[in-house]
This record gives sequence, structure tokens and C-alpha cells, in this order.
Amino acid sequence: MRGEFLGVNLTLWESNMTESHEQATPVKCAHCDKTMSTPVVCDYCHTIGPEAAVADHFTLLDLPRRFDLDPAEIHRKFLALSRHAHPDFHAEDTPEVQQLHLKVSAALNDAYRTLKDPAARAAYLLSLFGGKSSADDKSVPDGFLGAMMMMQEELADAIEADDHAEITRIAEVLKTQHDGLVRRIGTLFEQYQESVSCKAVVDDLLGELRQQLNAVSYAKKLLLQATNAEHAHG
Amino acid sequence: MADNLILGIDLGTTNSLAAVMTPTGPEIVRDADGASLVPSVIAFGAGGVTVGAEARAHAVENPTATVYSVKRLMGKSVDDLARVMDVLPYDVTPGKHDTVCVNVQGRHMSPQELSAIILRDIKTRAEAICQPGQKITRAVITVPAYFDDSQRQATRDAGRIAGLEVCRIVNEPTAAALAYGLDRAEDACIAVYDLGGGTFDVSILRVSGGVFEVLSTQGDTQLGGDDLDRELINLLTEEIRSQFGAELQFPPATRQALRTFAEATKVRLSTEESATVEVALGGGRVFTRTITRDEFESLASKWVDHTIEHCARALRDADLGPQDIDQVVMVGGSTRVPLVRSKTKDFFQREPYTAVNPDEIVALGAAVQAGILAGIKRDTLLLDVTPLSLGIETLGGAVGKLIMRNSTIPCQAAETFSTYVDGQTSVDIHVLQGERELAKDCRSLGKFQLTGIPPMPAGAPRVQVSFMLDANGILGVSAKELRSGKAASVQITPAHGLTHDEIDSMVQESYAHAIEDLNAHRLIDLRNESERILVAIDKAIETSGHVLSDQQRQALDAAVADLKTKRQQDDCDAVYEAMGAANEAATPLTEAQMDDVLSQTVKGRKMDDV
Repeated sequence: MRGEFLGVNLTLWESNMTESHEQATPVKCAHCDKTMSTPVVCDYCHTIGPEAAVADHFTLLDLPRRFDLDPAEIHRKFLALSRHAHPDFHAEDTPEVQQLHLKVSAALNDAYRTLKDPAARAAYLLSLFGGKSSADDKSVPDGFLGAMMMMQEELADAIEADDHAEITRIAEVLKTQHDGLVRRIGTLFEQYQESVSCKAVVDDLLGELRQQLNAVSYAKKLLLQATNAEHAHG
Repeated sequence: MADNLILGIDLGTTNSLAAVMTPTGPEIVRDADGASLVPSVIAFGAGGVTVGAEARAHAVENPTATVYSVKRLMGKSVDDLARVMDVLPYDVTPGKHDTVCVNVQGRHMSPQELSAIILRDIKTRAEAICQPGQKITRAVITVPAYFDDSQRQATRDAGRIAGLEVCRIVNEPTAAALAYGLDRAEDACIAVYDLGGGTFDVSILRVSGGVFEVLSTQGDTQLGGDDLDRELINLLTEEIRSQFGAELQFPPATRQALRTFAEATKVRLSTEESATVEVALGGGRVFTRTITRDEFESLASKWVDHTIEHCARALRDADLGPQDIDQVVMVGGSTRVPLVRSKTKDFFQREPYTAVNPDEIVALGAAVQAGILAGIKRDTLLLDVTPLSLGIETLGGAVGKLIMRNSTIPCQAAETFSTYVDGQTSVDIHVLQGERELAKDCRSLGKFQLTGIPPMPAGAPRVQVSFMLDANGILGVSAKELRSGKAASVQITPAHGLTHDEIDSMVQESYAHAIEDLNAHRLIDLRNESERILVAIDKAIETSGHVLSDQQRQALDAAVADLKTKRQQDDCDAVYEAMGAANEAATPLTEAQMDDVLSQTVKGRKMDDV
């Protein structure tokens, strides 16, 4: 499955990724010398390879590089690798081996934390695909800012007026907006995978993804304010 | 037991105990009488240092030399402790680096050293049930989940001072979940409600296929059963004062007695509807008070409500509702209080699980984790989280968060720093823990100084600092200058802890004490103690000498003279005996003084059933 996926994206990776990209030649396990299907962990003896400490989140979790992932599958992969990578199972090993497992385990936890959250997963994927960071491109979709500012004012008024029902209503609206943005991001990633060969389309898609993601983090912040206010009341 | 034995230790505020992993499962370490709990109380007396029930028995008569609740002092500063200081009968003084020390008869001891005394005692008890000659050198020690970095470090340092390599610091609620879920195959969401003597934690876990994954944790390291006791102490104190005079002062012995009373009342009210306190006052006056459970519950209510608020927050952080929780596991002696059980039940909408002894479940879990680390238990894994966000102070005193709370540990974050001045070769970084936005409101973990940066124009160096929270939740820092590739060195000044050198010297000291002629050490203690007694007798003769008959006076003078001679010599037992004789001869004086004292204060004696 990985191979097919790699094939689809190969051109883009070469143009966008500066880091060398892996798995051209199969890696052999340093412990049992068997061929490894991923550079992270040996399929036979479960030894963690040194590559694991520097692998990207998708490689580490042995997941295809795409947005549309099953949360249960991400969780399952996370637990499976944790069973081999966690420092607890290597407490009696040499300091070097312990250090590797500490690093891989930290990287694994970071990978799971990122990939399980749709917005964080999208942002990470966007950076892998060579999209701009939020620091480089702060734009949001047309009309979004105006709508959000109105929501913000409504929320401030509701908090001021101590209007619990209104705060709850605003929180619900924000949640719907947030979910809508995430759905749109899913659609954009689908379009992206279908059009990887056409650079102009890809650039447009990456640009729009950035805008949608900026909007998501904006909506998230406001939603957090609203839920905090909700609980401060209740 | 095997060589790779790692002891699981629950180092509690009120009680401590240990467990070991055996092929059939974790087992609690018990003495010949089957008792497992060792009261976390240390008494410094003429006969030496005692720990446990024996030490606790002397708490009322020797309040300033009996130390308990040391856990509340771990990794804390004097300012942190303002709320609890006034109820501690022993003398707490400021220590180095914004820590505290306990002054025991002129000997200043850090909480780490005091905890080490308890740990050493636990270790010795465990060794007693091992094969002859087997030494225990490694341990897993539990801490409240909400302990910050300073408190965790302090606990690990205490282990080191006690001669134990601390393989892992485990969170208490997580340990409890491990013990609870060990033999349960089904996947489930568990809430662990852990109300101990001095701390409260709630953790939400998901258990699937032997992996125990902590989703969120919340708590308060200064909220526990002690607070319920304090409510009762305050009630009694107020009423005694209103009945016998507002100016009434309470010396340490009385404070200790009231504390014992309050605790006993709380325990009694868990099974009875009411309890009566009877306090004998000087001059034949007696203070009697019946406290009903309702009355106690109205005093305790606000504290229990706090714990429920934490439960709500923990659920929110885990993105779950009460209906998602399959089981609520109750941990800690304070969960025996009926109000605690009923409020927890109401909140989670289910009967909490209380079948396992709530005092022992944490130690059992520590033993399971010890088994995992020793490689004898491979089918279970614990994935814990950090309870507090980690950040650094940025310009203007704000906090830039690097690691968010409830992140699974181990956890790493990196941040790049530069210089402000041409040729600058060092950068100061202030690391903080907590959820607040301003540095001054968070817990300072320490100032880190990066040195060895190659001299370059301002802003040119790029120093990447990596912060690693290991599986113990303890922070490690490393740094690298990216342009030169040179490792910058990191010097850490702990905000509320001991430096490596200080720990080393304490380890050395405790080692020295272990191998030195014990008599010599005991002799020093005995000489100090006898000096104290001689001074007290002198003073007593001055104020109450007239009560002595000639015969009594002669006997006392002889005993004092004998003690003065013996304490110049090197025979411990002789000094100890002479001290006993002097004490005995001074009894009429002490009694006379006691009458004086009792007329102005209270002295706890007994508590009757209703």
C-alpha cells in the first residue's frame, strides 16, 4: 500500500522535499538482518531501527500520507508501536539503546498527538506537501474574518450579560463552523491527490488549504473562549 | 526473590507501604503481624530515630521532634506552605534555593532527607522478608499525578539518599489503575479518584489490550484528608476558646492532641452517625462536644466539591462525559468518608469501585510497574501524561508554552534562541510549569544558562534547546548551536530543589552514617538530648522547685550530677540510663508544671463512643 502511494506522489516529493526520501533501497534490521518493510521497526524481531527517531509522523506510524485516516486505525498503530518502542521495555538495556527508545517514544507520542487531531494532521500534511506555514501566510478565506468578528462581539456581549443560553448557542454555531471547515479541508486534500501532476492546480489547492487551516485555528480559539465561559458559568 | 527485584513503594503523606511483583502477581510487603501500612511519621528521640507506628505513638508527648506529612513539604518553598504551616507542630524553616527545612532540635533536615528515612525503613522491612542477606537497591516510587517537576525530583533525590536507585516515578492514580485493570481483560474507560491525606488527583484512562493510556489528569497537591481534619480542629479550637477564654494558647502538644482527636473523629464518622470528643482541661474542667455526621459533612462539603470540579475538568480534557466512564476506582484512605463516595457517585452516575483496599492499591500498581521495568511483565504497558504545561518565559513576563498538559510522556519539544548583544556567549532561559499566562503565576522550575555559544554578531547564533520530559515526568534539557554544531552546555539552578552536589553530599553523608560506628552517632544525639533535658530541669527548678521535698530535691540533684558526668563519657547506654533517671527524678517537677500548663490550656486524653 505504501508503495502505490509513494508512486502517486513521487514527482511532487522530489520537487518539494529537500530531505532525502527513504525506502528506495530496502532497509535491513541491524539485529536480525532481515529485510524491514518500514525503517521504524523490524517485522520479525521488533527491534527499533535508528531511522525511527527521525522519521516523519506517517512513516513512524506506518500510515499512508493522506488526510482521510480512520481514527481507530491511527490509535491501533500507535499502541502497536508503543509496545515495542516504549522505554519501559528497555530499562535493562544499554544507555544508548535506552536513549534511542526515549527519543523514538517521544517522537511517537508527538506523531500520535498530531495525527489524531484532524486540524493538526492537515497542518502537518500541508507542511510535508510543501505548503506555506501559518507564519508565512496568515490569510483566511474571503468573508471569514468579518463573520468571526461578529461572532466574537456576540460572544463578548453574551459573557458580559452573563447569558448562559446565548453562550451555549454561540459555542454550538462555532462548533458547526469548525466542523464545516475541517470537512472542506478533507475535500481539498482529495482534490490534491487527484491533481498532483499539475503544479498550478496544486499550488492553488495548497494556498486554499492554508487559508482554511488559518480559519480553523481562529475558530478553535474562539470556540475555546466560548466553552471556557460556558463552564465558568456552569 | 530474584536479583532483578525492584521494590514498589507508595510513599504517602500519612502512610507508606511497599509491594513486590511475584510470578503470581503483585504482593504487599507485610510484617509478622500482617500489617502493611507504616505511618509516615519520624520521631527523633534519645533512643535514636524511629519510624512508623512507634514514632506516631510519641507524637503527642514529643511534638517538636516528631515529623509527619513530610510529603507536603517536598519541593516546596515557605511561601507555598503558608496554608498548612500553622497546623504543623514541628518547626519549618527556610532552606537553600527557596526550599524548606525541618528544624528538629537544632538539626536542620531537608524534606528529601526526612523522606529518605521513611524509605530506608520501608526498604529494611522489605529486606526482612526476602531471602537472608538480599539487599534491595532499586525501587519504583509513586507520587501524586499532579506533582510538578520539583516535587518529582525531590522524591527521586529522597530515594537516592536512602540508597535506592529510583527506576521510575509513577503517578499514584495510574498505579492504582494498573493494579485494578491487571486481571480484567475487557477494554474500558476508567476514572481514578484518589483522595489521600494531603493530595487529590483524578485521572481518566483508557485500557485496551493491556495498554493503560492516561487521557487526562487533574488535581491539587495541597488538598486532602488533612483539610477535613483541619475543619474539625478549627471547630474545636473555636469552641474551646469561646468557652474557656479567647486568649487561650495552644502549645505544640495540645495542637498535636487536637489533630489526633480530629482524625479519630473523622474516621469514626465514616461508620457512626455521631462521635463525642471529650477534652480534659486543667483544673477539673472538661470540654465535651458531640459532632454529628451531618455537621461534619457540612464542614467537609466545600473540599469534596473542589474534588468534583477537578473531575469535571479531567473529563473535559479527555473529551468525554460521565456516561463514557465504565468504572470509577476509589483510592486513598479519605475515600472512606461517605460524603466523598456519595458525591463521586452522583457525579459519575455510577457506584464507585471500592473493593480493593484503597490504602494498598497504589503500592500494588507500583509493584506491577516494577515488574514491567524488570522485564518480568511484558504484556502490560503504561502510557502516562504530564499534568502541567511546560513553557519558557518570553519577553514581558509572558509564558510561551512548549509542551501542553496531558501530553503523553516521554515528550520532547525544541525551541531556538539567539543573542541580543554582539559577542554574547551565554543566554538565560527561565523554565516554568503551569497553565497560567504570566510567568509570575506559574511554577518556576529553574533558570537555565546556556554557555559556550561561539561569539557572533547579535542575533546570529541559533541555539536549539531541546526539552525532554522523560517517562518519570522529569525534565531534561540539552542545547546545540546550529551554525557551529557545537553543543552548548546547560547549567541548571533549581528553583525549589537541591543541586546535584548537595544531593551527592547527602548521599555521602547517609552512607557515612551507615558505616560509621553507630554508637558514636548515637552518642552525639544522646548528648544533645541530655543537654536539652538538663536545661529543662534547671528551668523547672527555678519556677517550681518549691514543690519538691528535701528528699526529692536531693535525689534530683544526684541524678543531674550523674547525668552531667555520664554525658562527658563515651558509654551510650550509661548516658541513656542516666537520662532516664534524671527524667524520673524530675517527675514531681514536670507534674507541677503540667498542672500549671493545664490550667491555661487543654490536654487531649480520650474520646468516647456515643
